[in-house]
This record gives sequence, structure tokens and C-alpha cells, in this order.
Amino acid sequence: MKALQRRALLSATAVLAVVGLAATAIPAQAAEVGVSSTEIKLGMTLPMTGTASLGYNKIPGAAKAYFDYLNANGGINGRKVTLVVKDDRYVPTEAVAKTNELILKDKVMALLAPLGTANNKAVASSVNPARRGVPVLFVNTGFSGFADTKKYPTTYTVLPSYIMEAKIMGEYIKENFAGKKIGLLYQDDDFGTDALAGFKTAGVNFAVKVPYASGSQGAAAAAGWITKFKAAEADVVILFGVSSATSAMLGVAAQLKYAPQWMLGSVGGDATTIKLTGVPAGVLYNAIGFSPVPATTDMKDEYVKFFSDIYAKAVPGSAFDLNVLLGMNTAFMTAQALKAAGANPTRKSLMAAIDSKGATFANSALVPAAYSATSHVGLTGYWVGKYSPTGDLAPIGGTYVTYTTDSGSGAVVKSTYKRPAMPAKGLPN
Amino acid sequence: MHKRQNSSHLIPFILGGVVLYFLSGMVDELRVYQGATIAVYVVAISSIILLTGYSGQVSLGNGALMAVGAYAAAVAHSSWKLPILVCFVIAVIAAALGGALLGAAAGRLSGPYLAGTTLALAIGLPSLANQFSILGGEQGLIFDVGFPPLSLGEDFTQYKWFFWIAALATLIMMWLLQNILRSRYGRNWRAGRGNEVAAQLAGINTARSKVLAFTISAGLAGLAGALLAMTIGTVSPSAFPLALSFSLLTGAVLSGVTTLSGVMIGAVTLVAIPEVADVVAHKLGTSESVTTNLPGLMVSALLIVTVLFVPNGPVEQHRARTAKKLAAKTK
Amino acid sequence: MILQSALLIWGISMIQLINTLLIGVTAGGIYALMAIAMVLVWRSTRVINFAQAGMALLSTYFGYEAMVNFNSFWIALPVAMIGGAVFAALIELIFMRLLVKHSSSGPIASVAPIIATLGLLGVIRAVVSMVWGGQDVRITGPISNDGFSLGGETLVFSPLKLLILGSVIVLMLLLSILFQKTNIGLALRASAYAPEIARLSGVKVDLVRTMGWALAGAAGAVAGMFQTVNGNGNLSPDSIEFSLLLVSGFIAAVIGGLESLVGAVIGGLLLGILISFVLMYVSSALFFIAPFIILLIVLFIRPQGIIGAKAGRRA
Repeated sequence: MKALQRRALLSATAVLAVVGLAATAIPAQAAEVGVSSTEIKLGMTLPMTGTASLGYNKIPGAAKAYFDYLNANGGINGRKVTLVVKDDRYVPTEAVAKTNELILKDKVMALLAPLGTANNKAVASSVNPARRGVPVLFVNTGFSGFADTKKYPTTYTVLPSYIMEAKIMGEYIKENFAGKKIGLLYQDDDFGTDALAGFKTAGVNFAVKVPYASGSQGAAAAAGWITKFKAAEADVVILFGVSSATSAMLGVAAQLKYAPQWMLGSVGGDATTIKLTGVPAGVLYNAIGFSPVPATTDMKDEYVKFFSDIYAKAVPGSAFDLNVLLGMNTAFMTAQALKAAGANPTRKSLMAAIDSKGATFANSALVPAAYSATSHVGLTGYWVGKYSPTGDLAPIGGTYVTYTTDSGSGAVVKSTYKRPAMPAKGLPN
Repeated sequence: MHKRQNSSHLIPFILGGVVLYFLSGMVDELRVYQGATIAVYVVAISSIILLTGYSGQVSLGNGALMAVGAYAAAVAHSSWKLPILVCFVIAVIAAALGGALLGAAAGRLSGPYLAGTTLALAIGLPSLANQFSILGGEQGLIFDVGFPPLSLGEDFTQYKWFFWIAALATLIMMWLLQNILRSRYGRNWRAGRGNEVAAQLAGINTARSKVLAFTISAGLAGLAGALLAMTIGTVSPSAFPLALSFSLLTGAVLSGVTTLSGVMIGAVTLVAIPEVADVVAHKLGTSESVTTNLPGLMVSALLIVTVLFVPNGPVEQHRARTAKKLAAKTK
Repeated sequence: MILQSALLIWGISMIQLINTLLIGVTAGGIYALMAIAMVLVWRSTRVINFAQAGMALLSTYFGYEAMVNFNSFWIALPVAMIGGAVFAALIELIFMRLLVKHSSSGPIASVAPIIATLGLLGVIRAVVSMVWGGQDVRITGPISNDGFSLGGETLVFSPLKLLILGSVIVLMLLLSILFQKTNIGLALRASAYAPEIARLSGVKVDLVRTMGWALAGAAGAVAGMFQTVNGNGNLSPDSIEFSLLLVSGFIAAVIGGLESLVGAVIGGLLLGILISFVLMYVSSALFFIAPFIILLIVLFIRPQGIIGAKAGRRA
């Protein structure tokens, strides 16, 4: 009898538990998911805390700053745009869990700028937003695979791919560092693998390649990396890691008086973020860097001026850096996509809008975007810059010279793209 | 009498299954998905209850054993294209083998050394997958159990399918486990846990008994790992962090580590806490840093409170109280 | 010509070898400090304190607050040590006593301290993150961390790293003298191994146990402070520096055998050096696997750790 009581307890607990959870279930919505008469809800996952969060955790604040400005000026056809942000600490399985929450619990209309190659891949295969028709807009990663519209039919890139970046780097090396020994620091996951593929296409041969385990980047590890680069006598060292890896590397290099020709990948190349960790500006001086959008210190650029003004009011005391510029730029493009999606936007009409009009969306980038009915590829190139004595990236020679290419075997060409003027008041028209 | 006991155990499980069947039709996708996760935790926590509660051995490495099971299932599916059911069986066997090895090694270690080794296992084993391309590296392998069969209707979602598979596997496993725990082996474990020397004097081979405990516990963990892989759709090193092993330990303590009856409590709490913390944080309107850390704080605090005040778990505590009352009455 | 190139290559690999060793020794020194803390707790109360790294983290934040107010590392360090000692003593007095009272019997007895300290670790981390989470926290070291120059080469060794190693050795010597040559040390050892006899001999066992925890708290604080300034000075609960302290400190203690302070230092240095060589000459992507493999190998060869006594293993 006691045995039966115990089993009954187990079953009863099971029933109670499920009923309890069921009782808090959320009722379904009738209209398009995430769209009400007053609001459009978007969701973002990225590292807000943790070893990889350095710099990137400013992105939500930046995007919200633009959306708040937009909402104060009528929103999108009278609807306010709200952004739900979840911290995934750069861990793929947490990204999956948080994205599930965004889709199932918060019921967002679309996912906006989720960050991280491995994270986005995990979400694509586990949460499968494609099968559920959830748009994944302007992913915050340069992984070239996301351009595959068969595998990722609802995903749109915005950043130039790592293969594009590697090819442009390779071209610059061929022109300026022929015959020198090249070293590479890369992350030991899909992000790094994509870069390696790009360098292979570009025909760059490395004297030394140092992979780092994602999450291990710190001063202790950096001392080991530098010892390896020194042993291989690298003349040029490419840093193709996240900001915390780049900062660790440069910080320790200063202590060890190691000063090769640095080349910083755009992912970890934001000068403001690096300097905030204590890296002296002198270390960055003369390093080579790349960016698809104007230099963040270029106040003559109308977009930079416009965005930094809004940001300074929304988040006073926070420095305007590349993460902020890219975050606000993406928000700006999103607003245009939502506007173009029509008076009653749906997930389908949103994606159709990007397909048909995305290439003409106004944005601060100095290179063209390649959205079309058959392509979900965003920006396609970079300008090459050098870091100034104060450690800020500026175009070599003072004028922007941009290069574009593709993620395949196409050549690297100098771009003749002329960026159209910013729409009035920075609002979608 | 033995037979009657067995069948009387079977009925509540079947009842439970029928109830779950009806309920899964009534709740929305998120709850169903959480239900599948709860099932995973039930199996995983049971593995700890067996190892620590019944056999008295501390292992922090069940997260790693879940990884072994998950990877075995994923490799069997992607490389050898075996049917899903076979993959689950392979997961159990692979993990059990790992557990047997661990159990054999554990004979030389005890106390803190065992804890240390299993801790290192929990951290290092999943990252080992990074080094072998057949294991998919950092991005991992895909484990796709496929869509639910069309005979179940158009509306039958992927998540409901996960829930059914997980719930069925869980019910079967729990029934098997309950029988094992009641058998001679279960009694041997409790004897060895209580007083090893006395058990040996009574003729029990405690060394073999310990290895058996590790093996079966690992098999359970492996099944839980494969089920987890099914619900996330992929296996990768980051799915099995150190925090998972700690969560399992937490769930086991909350459930009452010495008995299987309360295992649902631990499993549901682990799934419910992040949600509750979210709600609390939003109601209080706290700052960013408080909101992010509240779930972690609640889990850890709950663990401490439970260990301090309800160390044997709520079910055991309740039983002890009723026993005391009964004894007082009969006086 | 060939001889010149050969000498050059030999010179470069020699420098690489030396630097690998230096990296390992410095890291190992800090692990040794952590291991010392864990050995102190184990020897005085037979508990593995999984929260040790969390307590070190909190102590380092105390040090940070002192830095903010006094702008001197040499004030911040003692503040961190005292804060760490006091906090540890309080934990022992309130938390551990309660734990022993409620769960010294039953199947959970052996598991309870492990679980409780794990819970404590989680609580400390969460609270630290809540209180200081939103800020940029930096601690600058007292002396330069720029590498020494040897000929034309810069070594991965600096005045700061020399200071760290020196402190480890000094601490180990001081604590060893305390344990072996003083009455307090005798009381500490007796209270761990034979508390009843010690009590009968008039030793205030409870007070002595608290002392053991306080000493460990101070050692942990030193580990935390040095690990932070040896890194890039940034302090955060999620930083790799503290995850390293947590895992490697514990593994170093276990490798060393948990029984002696000398073992803790040897364990720490050995672990640091071995990891450094694996990362340098095999692959730097093995960052998270190397400690695990080393622990397995050591425990396979010597299950009681390097200096562990046979009797200690069973305790």
C-alpha cells in the first residue's frame, strides 16, 4: 500500500506539474505574429555578458536609440518598433534556448541581428526559423554560408562575409607585403574556418597559424600566441578574432614589446573597444584595418553625425564606436524594410520588401548591398584604413578607397559606388 | 507476491502516460517543449539519484556522460544512418561503457579525488569533440529525429513529437529503474553506502556493485543526453557545460537524492526557475545586471537552502514526519 | 652560412622554450596560491571548498574598492586579504557549522559540503555580478608588467611576475612554518585529524577551524588580486581569469595531494608548466582539455596525488 501511495505521488506530481505549467500558457494571437495595431516586436540574441561580450553589448542600446527616435517621429505607419533582447553569452545552446523563447514566448515578428557564427548555425538547425517562416534579418556575422538561400531561406546577411574580407586582405598583402612572412590568429570554430577558406581562395600562405579556443582569450593565452608568432618570425600578423581576443593580443604585445605589422579583422577591430581595455593608442598606430561603413570619428559624414547625435542623447557618456554605428545602421535598414512591407506588414511581405528594394535602402555603408530576388547577401566590400596616432581608424591617404568582391572566386575590384544622400531627418520615406 | 508488486508498479506509469497524452493536446508549443526538457531532466536526475543517493558515490561528471550518449546517437545517425530507435540504444550502451570505465577507475579514487576527476571530466570531455572532425568540431553534429509521421495528422508539431518520444522513453526508463532499485542490486548498493565493511562481511562484492552503479547511472545519463540532443536538434560541446553537471546535482538534491519519488520536483524546478526569475525581475523592474543574474542566484540559493534544511529532499522529509507521527500515535 | 642559420634557428627555439617555461611558471604560481587556499580548508575542516574561487573573486572586488579610494595596490592587497579572511571566517562560522549540524548523518553527508559550497559559489558570483556588474572594473598593478629584455629579445617575465612568484614562495614558507613550528599550527593539524582528542587536550577546535578558513580566504584573495593584475587588469565575474582560478586551482590542489602546502605549490607549478607546453607545442586550441588530461594522468600514476599520504586518500 505504501508502494502504491508512492507511485501515486509520482504520477500526481507529474500531472500537477504539467497542469501548472499549462495554466500559465499564453493565448495565441490572431494577426501576424509580433505585429499589433500599435507595435511591431523584434527579437535579438547576442552576448551581453561573458568573455566575448566586450564591445558587442552596446549594440542593443544603439539599435534602441534609433528605434526610439523613429517611434518619436511616428514609428512605422503609426506602429512603435520594440526590441526584445536576450543574452546568450556567446554560447550556441543558449542562443537556441533564448531564440526559442523569443519565438514561442515573446512571439516576435522577426529576429534581428543575432550575433555569432556558431550561434546562428545552431539556431538555424535547432530552432529552424526557416521552416517556421520567421525572418532572420541582418545577421551579425560574416559567415559566408548564410548566403545559401536554399539552406537558410529566411536569413539575410548585412556584413560583408569573412571570405570577402580575407580576399580583400589577401589583395592588400599581395600589393604591399609580397614575400613577407604572414601570421594568422583565428578562432577555432566556424568563424575561423570561414576565414581560412577565404585566405585559401585569396592564395595567402601563412608562415604560422594560431587557433584559439573560443572562450579562452585572455592575457595568459595571448602570451603563448605571441611566443609562437615570434618563433615563426612573422612580419605581418592578422588578428581575425573577436574584440576580446584582439585586445588581449595587443595588450600583451605592448608589454612584451612585440610590434609586427598588425592587420585587424573588422570583427574585433573596433578601436574604441580595444583602447577601453587599456591597450595604449601607440600600439594600434599604423595597424591596418577594414570597415564597410565610414570611420566613426569622421564627423563630416552625414550619417556618422546624425547617428552619433541621437546616440549621445539616448545613451549619454557612452562612446560612439563601430558597434554603435553598425547597430544603428542595421536598425535604420530594418525600419526601411518594415516601411516597405506595407500598411499591414507580415513576415512574408517583410522579406519580399528586402528582396525587391533592399539594394536601394539608404544606409551609411560606402559599399553597395546585393539584395535581390535571388540573393540575401548584404554589403560586399570594405575600405582599407590605418589607425592614427590616437588609435582611430582612418582611410589611408584621407579618402575612402573601397574594394568589393564576392564570396566565390570573383576578383577584388576597386568600387565606383557613390552612396546616395541620407533621407530627410534620417527617417524611412 | 513479487509479480503482483511489479504489475502494481506498471499501472501508475501507464496512467501517467495516458494523462500526459491528453494534456499534450491542450497546451501550447512552449509548454510542450518544456515538457520534453523536463523529461530529459527526469532521466538525468535519476542517474544521479542512483549513483549518489543509492550507491553513495559523488560524481560531477554526469554532464559529460550525457555528452557521450548524445554524441554516440548523433554519430550513429549521421555517419551510419541508423534508425532513431537504434541510435537511442547505442547512446545508452556507449555511455554505459564510459560509466563502467569511470567506475573501474573510481575504485582507486575516493572522496575529493573522485570529485576532482569527475569535475575535470565534465569540463574536458565535451571539448574533446573539437579535435575530431567525425564529431563535428565546435559546430557539432546535427541530430534530426525527423518529422512526426503523417498518420498523426497535419497539426502534430515537431515539439509534440519530441515530447512524446521523450515522455515514452522516460516512463519506460523509470519503470525499469524502479525495478532495479527494488531488486537485489538496489539493496546491495544501499548496504555498501551505509557501511562498506559490513556489506563486504555480508558477502556483497562492493567493488563490483560500485562499478555496476556507475554503469547503469551512465546509461541513464546517456539516454538523457540523446533525448536532449533530440530536443535541441544538434550536439555540440557547448551543450554540455560544467553548469549542466551542477544543475543535475541541484535537481537531485531538490528531489531528494535518496528516493526516486520526488524526481519530478527537481526536474520541474530546474525548468521553471528561469521563467519565475524572469517574471519576478520584470515585476520588480530591476536593472539589467540584476535581471540577468536572478535565475542563477535563485537556483544557487535554493540549493543551499535545500541542503541545509531539507537535505534528504521534501519527499523523504515528509515521510519521516509521517513516520514520526505514526510512531507517536501507536505509543 | 649554414652554421649561422642553424645557430639562429636554435636561438629562436631556445627563446621559445624559455618563454614557454616562464609562462607556465607564472600561471602555475597563481594556481599554487589557489591550491594553498584549498589545502588549508581541507586540512582544517576536511571539506573541499568549491566556493574558494568565488570567495577569491569577492575579495578581489574588496581590493578594487580600496584601489578606488586609496589608489594604491599596496593598500588594496591587504584590504583584499583581510576582507577575504573575514568573509571566509564568517562563512565557516555561520554556513558550514549549520551545514554540519543538519546533514552530518544520512547518505547526503559526504555530498552535502560539496553541494553546499557549489551553491555558495553560484550565490557569490550572482551577487558580485549584480552589485558591480554594470561597471568597468580595473585594477592596475604596483609595478611594471613589461617583459625583461635579454639581449635583443623580450622575455615573458616581468617585475610583476617576479613579485608573484616571490609572494607564492614567501607565503608557502610562512604557512609551513606556522603549521610545523608553532602551537597554533599544531592545533590546526590536530583539529583536522583528531578533533575529539584535540578538544580533550584543551584546543578550541571550533576557533581553530575558523582560523584555517580565514587563512585560506587571505590566500585566495592574493591569488585573485595577482591573477587580475597579471591579466590586463580588467575584473569581471565572467572573465577567463576566474574560470581558470576555479578549475586549475582545484586541479592543482588535487594533483599536489591535498595534504601538504608544499604539494600544493608543486602541483600548481607542475600544472602551469605542463599546460603551457601542451598549448605551445601541440595546439593552443587545447586550452580547456589540457588540465583535464594532466589530472587524469597524474591520478592514474599516483591516485593520492604527488605528496598525498596513503592515509589521507581515504579520509
